[in-house]
This record gives sequence, structure tokens and C-alpha cells, in this order.
Amino acid sequence: MTPVVCLEDVWLELGATPVLSGLSLALEPGEVLALLGPSGAGKTTVVRLILGFIAPERGSVRLNGAVASADGRVLRLPEERNLAVVLQELALWPHLTVAGNLAFGLEARGVPRAVREARIADMTRRVGLAGKESRRPAQLSGGERQRVAIARALVLDPQAVLFDEPLTNLDVSLRGELLVLVRGLIKERGVSALYVTHEPREAAALGHRIAVLEQGRIVQVGTIDELSARPATSFVRVVVDELATGVPPPRRSG
Amino acid sequence: MGRALTSRTQQQLLVGIAALVLLGAGFLPLVLAALELPLAGVQGLAHARAALAAPATWTLLVRSLALAASVTGLALALGVPLAALLAKTDVGGRQAAFLVHAFPMFLPPFLLALGWFHLLGRRGLLGTEATSRLLFSFAGVVLVLALAFTPVVTSLVALALRGIDPSLEEAARIVAGPRRVVTRILLPLAWPAAALSALVVFALAFSELGVPMFLRVRSYPAAVFARLGGVEYAPGEAFGLVVPLLAVALGLLGCERWLAARRSFPVLGPRQRGTVPLPLGAWKGPAGAIVWALAAVSVLPIAGLALRASAGGFAGVPAWIGASLTNSIVCAGVAATIIAALGLIVGHALARGRRGAHLLDAAGVLAFVTPAAVLGVGLISLWNRPATRVVYGSLAIIIIGDVARYGVVGVRTMAGAVAQGPVEHEQLAAVVGAGFARRLFRIVVPLHRLGLASAWLLAFIFCLRDLETAVLFYPPGREPLPVRIFTLEANGPESVVAALAVVQVALTAIIVAAGATLLRRAQRA
Repeated sequence: MTPVVCLEDVWLELGATPVLSGLSLALEPGEVLALLGPSGAGKTTVVRLILGFIAPERGSVRLNGAVASADGRVLRLPEERNLAVVLQELALWPHLTVAGNLAFGLEARGVPRAVREARIADMTRRVGLAGKESRRPAQLSGGERQRVAIARALVLDPQAVLFDEPLTNLDVSLRGELLVLVRGLIKERGVSALYVTHEPREAAALGHRIAVLEQGRIVQVGTIDELSARPATSFVRVVVDELATGVPPPRRSG
Repeated sequence: MGRALTSRTQQQLLVGIAALVLLGAGFLPLVLAALELPLAGVQGLAHARAALAAPATWTLLVRSLALAASVTGLALALGVPLAALLAKTDVGGRQAAFLVHAFPMFLPPFLLALGWFHLLGRRGLLGTEATSRLLFSFAGVVLVLALAFTPVVTSLVALALRGIDPSLEEAARIVAGPRRVVTRILLPLAWPAAALSALVVFALAFSELGVPMFLRVRSYPAAVFARLGGVEYAPGEAFGLVVPLLAVALGLLGCERWLAARRSFPVLGPRQRGTVPLPLGAWKGPAGAIVWALAAVSVLPIAGLALRASAGGFAGVPAWIGASLTNSIVCAGVAATIIAALGLIVGHALARGRRGAHLLDAAGVLAFVTPAAVLGVGLISLWNRPATRVVYGSLAIIIIGDVARYGVVGVRTMAGAVAQGPVEHEQLAAVVGAGFARRLFRIVVPLHRLGLASAWLLAFIFCLRDLETAVLFYPPGREPLPVRIFTLEANGPESVVAALAVVQVALTAIIVAAGATLLRRAQRA
């Protein structure tokens, strides 16, 4: 099957510093791939490459088999990639209401008004924001804002959703609650997802497979069992040890 | 792929239109002004050569450069310490003192000279033979212009001081006293803003027409003006005299580019978190007295105008003002709207580092720092033709002149506002499928509506106070208020001219107060 997102031998430097060095990665249809790595490993750069905000100097980014960026050029603009993203900063549009934030992308994609309203109503109910559609981000709690950001991405039914450390800096109980919500929504919609994190437990709780990123290259990809059996680097060994506390890996949907 | 073209085409189209307007209004006339000399024909070239060969020409140029340099030096000497006191210390009534001090910046400097004349002229309220001689001299022009332009330095440096990351100041305050914190940490961090303000003041002072002409001090731009439409009419010589002015303008542009490379836009804007003002201790009283004395001196000429106007001048206003007030408001309103729209598109492109945006910005800066006399030559050359008589004979030519000269105000204001906002809002809109136009009008405009309103307001005020651009080519009967006052000054009734100046002051005060109130309310909302 053709991967939804595929990075092939991607090289990128910022200034004179190599950020990605021959990185290859594939997100299969219906899969949740966790991209795990320490700070400064290049995780956010991978997200920006996939979204089309930057282009690889060498190598290519393919979406459903078609080249979207390659060799220093962005061939498909971010708005043409049918992707969605949840950022750590959330970046909710402060001048739009909850419904407005969700509607914006649907309007841009030409979804008819009746369908749009139905999808927004369904999604706000699903994330527990029913009745708060007309509020602005400033009028919501931190957890509610996270839910809007997640709903805004998934209401589009994109071909893949990217999560760029969306739960960092949250307290433990809220993080657990939102992890359950994200896992449930991804499963219900059968959407492919790349979940970027530096937290081994989040990676294990969501990812069917985990790709470990170190110093701009993928050092190992596999299920938790595969990583545990043969950790490729000392960082992977640390990760495996941390996971030995016993978080069960999810089952693949579909 | 069709959608790819749509989004890219939208961007190219909008930026293309903005570029055409900006370059067509401001850059093309400068090119034409430069080309006037080679195209002037044998006789024209002979005139130009004679003008450029005359030692008096170069003496005058050096004199004008010295004038601008003196004004800049004095404005920096007054403005930088004042900015530090107003922005960073606990001196009493800081906000009110700043408003009083800054207000004259929004008026044509010529009006302030007129005000000083009514105070210090031979028949002025405080005037003697000595004060009059001082006022009508090189030093008098320097003093009047320095007091008029010091608020430019104060505002830019104060804004930069407030924009400095509070943690840098706090870290210094743990180990040093207030004086050391200001002189060793804050002012060195704010130097790019001080340098930029020096550049702006130099350009404004060098370009100034009204004050030297009124105070009977010869200046280079006034010499060009006199050869274009005054008693010494000789266009061939004017084209020749324009060349050194263009060279100075290019030098200023070079300085500005060098500075821009060392300065980030966010330093030009206010941040959310403030710091506790530095305590002046025993110096609080004297410092307060100095600040308020400077603020009072800034508005003293307005009092001079009001006093002179109160001697029966206001009764004559309806008969003498003509359509000039309406002309001023219409021209400034339309020009400010065009400038704000240009600012939105080009400023956004500049803040987001789009290719070519820096060239458009540079063209805007060049039109601003080039003495208005040069721009005037170019605009006359471009528009004074039978085919474009409709434009040249109407308010449209004044609007074009305003857009040309002050377009950069909108570009820089919007670039600053956009650069301070997070880019993620726009990126996310792109990810969910919004094309360029939708992102611009649905995300950038609402998020930066305050910046857009500020750009409009600033542009409006700049256009409202303009004298030196419009005075070169205003169509008969279509002059804006500052031009009306300037032309009446020579032979109109003194008290009425003063009253017209008070009308200009009142109009500016109303616009500034209303705009500031609306912006503050919107910010709170």
C-alpha cells in the first residue's frame, strides 16, 4: 500500500548546522506513527517539512505517492496537501469563535454550509464543547482550548493529522484525559496520524509504531516489542527502560 | 495543481498591484527626475551645467547638510535622555508630559516657526531686536526644527526602550543602580532606534522647505523650489540641482539599509509585560522640572499662534479658508486609505520575508528620504501632460504625491505589527486549505486590525501635515490647508493666518485624540 506520507533520504541544514541527515520515514494508511526524540533532534522540522513550510535541500516528501516537495522546492503549497496539524502553541485564531475556528478550514475547502454546520455540531459534541460554540478562545480554559485545537484539525477529515507535541506543559490528569480523547478520535475516524513527542509514554500510548529520531536521522522504527528486543542506541535503551513501567501498546484499528 | 495556481496567483496579483501603485507613485517619478537632466536638450544641459558649476550651489548644499546635521545632533541630545526619563523612570506625569512633548511632531514645522515668530519676532509677545535676529538666522532655523523634530527621537527611542525584554533590565537591576542600568544596558540596546530616528530627522530637516523660506535662510531644497515655480523660474537649472539631492537621498537609503540589517522589527513595538520604573530618588524633582520644561517649550509656539489669532483673526477664517480644509481632509483620507492597503500587502510580505518585498520597501524609503523637491520634479514630469491633465489638475495629483512620499509609513507600520504576531495563525489557515487572499483578509486583517488602524492614522496625519510635497504642484484652488497658510503668510492678514494655523492645530488634535482613544478602546476590547 502507498504510504500517506513518505520522506525519502531527506537532508536539511539551517545555516551551517545539519538538522536532518538522510532521514527516511513512512506513515502507512490508518496508522498512528509516533515520532519520538529528544529536544533538538529535529522533530518540529520534520513536521514543517511535511506541511510544506520548508523544503528539503535533498530528498523528497511524498503524499500518497505524489512528490509534494523535493530538492529545495515546495511543489504543493501547504493549503493543497489536505493535512491538518495540532501545534504545541495551539495557535487558535483569537478573533474567531470556537465554531468559527472549526468552520474556517471547511469554508476554505468549499464544504457546503449545511454539511459544515452538521460536522461542527458533531465534532464540538464529541470533544465536549457543545454549548460553547460561540465562545472565543480567551473565554475558554486551557483544557478546552486544547480540545478546540484537536477538533479543528479532525473536523476536516484530512488524509493525515500531525500532532506536534500538543500535550507538552499540561498537568498529568489533563494530559491523560486528552490522550484518551485523541486516541478515541483517531480510531473512530480511521485517520492516519503522526504524533511527535519527546515523552516515551505518550508515544507508547498512541503509536502503533514508534520512530526514534536522534540528531536528524531515524535510528530505529518498530513496535514497542521490537524496540525492546533490540534497542539500537543508548537513547532507545533509556526509552525502553522508562516504558518498562508497563504502558500497553494500542491495537491497530481496521 | 489548479488550486496551486489559484493561491500563488492571488498572492502574485495582490503584491503585483501593490508594487505597481507604490513604484508608479514614488519610484517612477524619482527615475524621471534623474532622467530630466540627460533629456533636457542642449540649452537645458547648459543651464544645468552652469548651475552645478557655480560655487554658490555647492556652498548652499554644504550649508543645508550642516543645517540638517545640526538639527539631528540637537534633537538627539534632547530626545535620547528625555526618552530614557519618560520610558524608564518614575518621573512625575510621564504620560501627560510625553503627549504634550510629542504633539508638535504632527504639525507642519512651518506652523511652529510661525508661532515662534509671534512670540520672539520684533513685534512678538516676548520679542526684542535680539530674539528676532536669532530667529531669522541659521541658528534660529536649527532651533525651530530641532524642537519640532525632537519628538521623533523621543518617540522611537522610548518605544524601543519599552520593547526591550524586561528580563535583561531586571538582571541588570539586581547588580547595578538606575543610572548604570540606563546608560550601560538600556540605551546601548536601544541604539538602533536612536540611529533610525537620527536618519529620519536628518531626512526631514534636509528636505524642509517651509521653515528656512519663512525665516529667510537660504537652503538647497528652497533653491530648487524657487527655480521650479518661484521668482527664479529656471527648470533646466532645477533638473541640474536635483542631482546632488538624489545622491544625498541614495546615501541616506544606504544608511537605512545598513541599519535595517541590524535591527529586528519587534524592537519597534510595545510588549505586554512592563517593568517597575527606575527610582530617581533625590533627582526626581529636578528631572521632572526638566521634562516638563521641555514639554512646555515644545508647545509654546502653539500658544503664540493662539494669542495672535485671538486678536480678531478667527472672524476672518471663513472668508480666507476657502476649500483648503476640505481639500486637506479628502486628500489625507483617500491617501491614508491607499497607504494602509499598500501597507497591508507589502508590509505583510516584508514581515514574512517574501522575495522582492525588501526592494519595494527600499523604494518606499527612498521616496521618503529624498527631498520633496526631487519627487516634485519627477511627479511634474510624469503627470504634467495633456493626456493626464485630469489628474494633474485635480486633487488626485496631491493624493499621488502623498502616497509616493508616505507610502513607507504604512509598509513599516504593518510590517512591525505582523512581525510581532505569531506566524502559526497564518500557517494553520494554509494547512486547512485557505488560499492567500482568504488568509490575508480573514486572518491577517482581523488579527492586525489595530496595526492597520494605526497605519491609516499615521498616514493620515503625515498627509495632513504635508507642505513641501503639495506646494510644488497643487492645482489652483485645490491647495490643502498647510499650503494655503504658507502662501497667505507673505501677504495675508497676520491674525487670520495665525487663526488658520490654529484651525490646522485643532484639526490635528481632534484626529490624534480620537484616533488614540479608539485604538486604546479597541486594544482593551
